[in-house]
Amino acid sequence: MRDVLQKVAFKLAQLGASSPSDVNELFAELRAAFDKELGHTSDLGGLEQLRARWRGRKGLDRNIRQNWLSPESSVRFAVGKAYNDFKEHVESALAEKRIELEAEVQKRVEAEHLDVTLPGLAQRRGARHLITQTMEEICGIFERIGFSVVEGPEVETDYYNFEALNIPEHHPARDTMDTFYLDLPVSALPAEVRGRRPGTSPFPLLRTHTSPVQIRTMEKQPPPVRVVVPGKVYRRDNPDATHSFMFHQIEGLAVDRDITFCEFKGTMEYFLREFFGPKTRTRFSASYFPFTEPSADLAATCSVCEGAGCRVCKQTGWIELFGAGMVNPAVYGFVGYEPGELSGFAFGMGVERFAMVKYGVDDLQLFFQNDVRFLQQFRR
Amino acid sequence: MNILYEWLKEYVEVPAALPRFIEEMTRAGVSVEGHGPAPGGGGTLLELEITANRPDLSSHYGVAREAAALYSKPLKPIEPAPPEAAEPASGAAQVDIAAPELCHRYVALVFRNLKVGPSPDWLSRRLEACGLQSINNVVDATNYVLLELGHPTHAFDLDTLAERRIIVRTAKPGERIITLDGVTRELKPHHLVIADARRAVALAGIMGGAETEISLRTRNVLLESAWFDPITTRRAAKELGLRTEASYRFERGMDVEAPLRAARRCAELFLELAGGELLAGAIDVYPRPWQPPVLLLRASEIERVLGIPLRGEVVEGILHALGFQGARSAGDVWQVVAPSWRRDVTSEIDLIEELARLYGYDKFPSRLPPARQPVARPPEAEAAAVLRERLEAQGYDEAINFTPVNPAAAEKFLAPGDELARLRNPLSEEVSVLRPSGLVSLVEALAWNINRGQRNLRFYEIGKVYAMRGGGFRERRVLTLAATGLRREKSVGEAEQPFDFLALKGAVEAALEPFALPPLRFDACDATFLHPGERAAVSAGGQTLGLLGQLSPALVAAFKLRQPAYVAELDLEAVYAAGLRPPRYQPLSRFPAVARDFSLLLGHGISFSAVRQVIEELELPELVSMTAVDQWFRGGALPPDRYSLLIRVVFQSPEQTLTEEQIRRLSDRLVEALEKKLGARLRTQ
Ligand SMILES: [Zn+2]
Repeated sequence: MRDVLQKVAFKLAQLGASSPSDVNELFAELRAAFDKELGHTSDLGGLEQLRARWRGRKGLDRNIRQNWLSPESSVRFAVGKAYNDFKEHVESALAEKRIELEAEVQKRVEAEHLDVTLPGLAQRRGARHLITQTMEEICGIFERIGFSVVEGPEVETDYYNFEALNIPEHHPARDTMDTFYLDLPVSALPAEVRGRRPGTSPFPLLRTHTSPVQIRTMEKQPPPVRVVVPGKVYRRDNPDATHSFMFHQIEGLAVDRDITFCEFKGTMEYFLREFFGPKTRTRFSASYFPFTEPSADLAATCSVCEGAGCRVCKQTGWIELFGAGMVNPAVYGFVGYEPGELSGFAFGMGVERFAMVKYGVDDLQLFFQNDVRFLQQFRR
Repeated sequence: MNILYEWLKEYVEVPAALPRFIEEMTRAGVSVEGHGPAPGGGGTLLELEITANRPDLSSHYGVAREAAALYSKPLKPIEPAPPEAAEPASGAAQVDIAAPELCHRYVALVFRNLKVGPSPDWLSRRLEACGLQSINNVVDATNYVLLELGHPTHAFDLDTLAERRIIVRTAKPGERIITLDGVTRELKPHHLVIADARRAVALAGIMGGAETEISLRTRNVLLESAWFDPITTRRAAKELGLRTEASYRFERGMDVEAPLRAARRCAELFLELAGGELLAGAIDVYPRPWQPPVLLLRASEIERVLGIPLRGEVVEGILHALGFQGARSAGDVWQVVAPSWRRDVTSEIDLIEELARLYGYDKFPSRLPPARQPVARPPEAEAAAVLRERLEAQGYDEAINFTPVNPAAAEKFLAPGDELARLRNPLSEEVSVLRPSGLVSLVEALAWNINRGQRNLRFYEIGKVYAMRGGGFRERRVLTLAATGLRREKSVGEAEQPFDFLALKGAVEAALEPFALPPLRFDACDATFLHPGERAAVSAGGQTLGLLGQLSPALVAAFKLRQPAYVAELDLEAVYAAGLRPPRYQPLSRFPAVARDFSLLLGHGISFSAVRQVIEELELPELVSMTAVDQWFRGGALPPDRYSLLIRVVFQSPEQTLTEEQIRRLSDRLVEALEKKLGARLRTQ
């Protein structure tokens, strides 16, 4: 091939061609070289290269015109004709070959197609625990309206868990919070956990709610305060479908100069609508907790029947959810706040309860078995 | 507390159908948890949940009083007036209170010639409908009054009381009593008892004694109706494990003005059901009659707490309906006296709560409070979120495990120098210590799933661990990982891959990558719960961050896993302290990077990290990265004392395209250093 092109670059005189038959011989050689190369071309990319070399190249044209088609050449008509024949041949051969190759490609693609219904390949994502997701959702709603998330120790003193929350040693409210005590002295706790005042119990305990963190927050920070406290809590209950000796709580506290029962209601209603949906209505029933007054039990309209009554809500239309209320002024005394100028509200909700209601989980124990068939249902 | 709806309606008219009544009472604070037909067909039973502050609601009359206030309806008065005989009670019995702090009042009525026998049908049916057993007419009458008025009373067989005396005193050291349930109980000096001249005959406010109980032979009766101290009652009931209808009420605080009326109501029933006669005059020992406190209620405070003003008539209407006495003094201030049955109302805020709940919580408008402060987010929250995201992206499912665990399992993961923190009152031995490591239950979680046919598992848990060290107790945050089975399952075009140590290490590295820690080091460690051949401590800048490795075969067997498992635990206190690494821009090189592979022959025991260290110490500015690509221990022309490590090094210059010559020189320096420092040889092709 190279040889042929080199030959073309020479003058006919140098090649010793002087008759039309010599010219035809030379072009026959050129055509044979082209045909051979075309024969070896098996794909469209190669064909494109071939086209560039033979037809697209300006050099060949110029060479022939300068060296072979000069007026003095005796064979210029023969060269002109042969060259035109050759160009025509190249043009049509390339076109033919293209059609042939395109048909082949089409055939091959059709034969080679993948089963697109095969499963895709990907790393399966891990699932965040439903309790974590629910806590994040609840805390996120409160963060949007100015609450900061704070955490605190799980092993507490009697003072922070009970006394500072207006639940003295023999208070009947302790009945609902049967408590685990640790077999070690309170003095073994780090100084910041022991805090300012000794409690009546010489033994630390596993906190029965996350409210002690509210006391710790108020001890550290002057008002205004607006916090939510997520975390594990412990009550000495035998496990069943609705009880667990460990569960999760989110408690919240807002203390400021002009927070009233109306702000308390507004905040709780906002939260429940955000969590359960905009159609949710809220019921506030009077209740009693030592650390709030007035106190309320909160219920939301059953999202299954939208309040009409069904099996899930035991025909009441309401799902009882959590307790809350205005902070009892007695609590301010424990943390050195001025009760006459301040007011606030507090609330405490069981995270498992919210997750069960929202996602239809019917057994509390599922949250702690870590069965992947359960966990992976809530993958996001 | 169970209330018979039909009985309740004997005292007050309810102007609402039952479902609405239930709803409205619940909203006002008398929570009706359920309702249904009473046992024995006695009507409709309402199941009430009485809060600890409202012992006055633990009776039909108490609930009726609340309903009357709620609906502004009159409450039928109960004013018992039993006829009395001529003989004075004071001559037939004597009452002394030796512990006046613990017993503020003791009323005794004395009866002669009662005929103890079965109760009439109407009485036994009513008691049974409310869940109490019928015993005899005298005892049943006291129980009826308990359900009706809420005040506990107790009937003694007068003839069994030594010297017909009642002495209210604390127990003597070593004193015992056989209670009505037939159990002999040893008393402590702070337990309050009712005694006769010789011995304790009842546990005050809790339960009577067997030796003085009413029997079919009883003819003469001393009826007790008293007031006992809540805390004393509660302590004794708790210590003796004896919770009764009476103790439930006394420990929440009974009405000190109620005993006489309750006793007289009993007397009416005794005379009606058992005949006989009531001796004249109640013995009423009441050394310091109740002085109700006067509470101040300010209109301004009502508005400050509740957020809207309440009109004066509304305030007074609610308080009067609930039995409070009040008068408006100067300006918008009331002087209020709470009724004797409302011992829970002791301050202004208690009054405001009464107003709010009877006014109706649903009538208050809802407002969102203005935020005065930006929301603070602790850096740990961000860090934990990054960790979760990293691990979930790698297929780790989040587990949550119990804090109390089995001590035998906990011992296996206890760090040297740590001691287990025990519970004093665990639910069982199985859950009696606080977990010293997240692995105790995370390995358990592997077993749980393997036993249910789930064999390819990856778990993470972010939680706390608890232990004693050097006499001090600590709770620390940790990240725990556990994995087993296949890392990748077989699929079209991909072979299956088992989870192995390097997969675990990769997860640890990926989790820690976003943190501003010094470069991680992995060194062999001696943790006994890990496989001796595959275990490491991870550290950064000389600080140990945690352990990782294959679970020891002994533990695989102990937990019945039946397949290898890989575990890790990292100290998050150290990780959080380092904080997240802020990303920083590095200029990109415009020149191509060139990768070169080196097949090294190394002596056994020369680790990849040694190779990396030698290369890094050269501090070649053109060195962009180096990593191990393959490793062989046998085969081919490997000499027996050597193994082969294929490393890939990437060179790049920020200033120019590296020439073949430059790359050759860099490669030579690298190989030379490895030969000189590690005795490495290049494997010839
Ligand atoms: Zn429903």
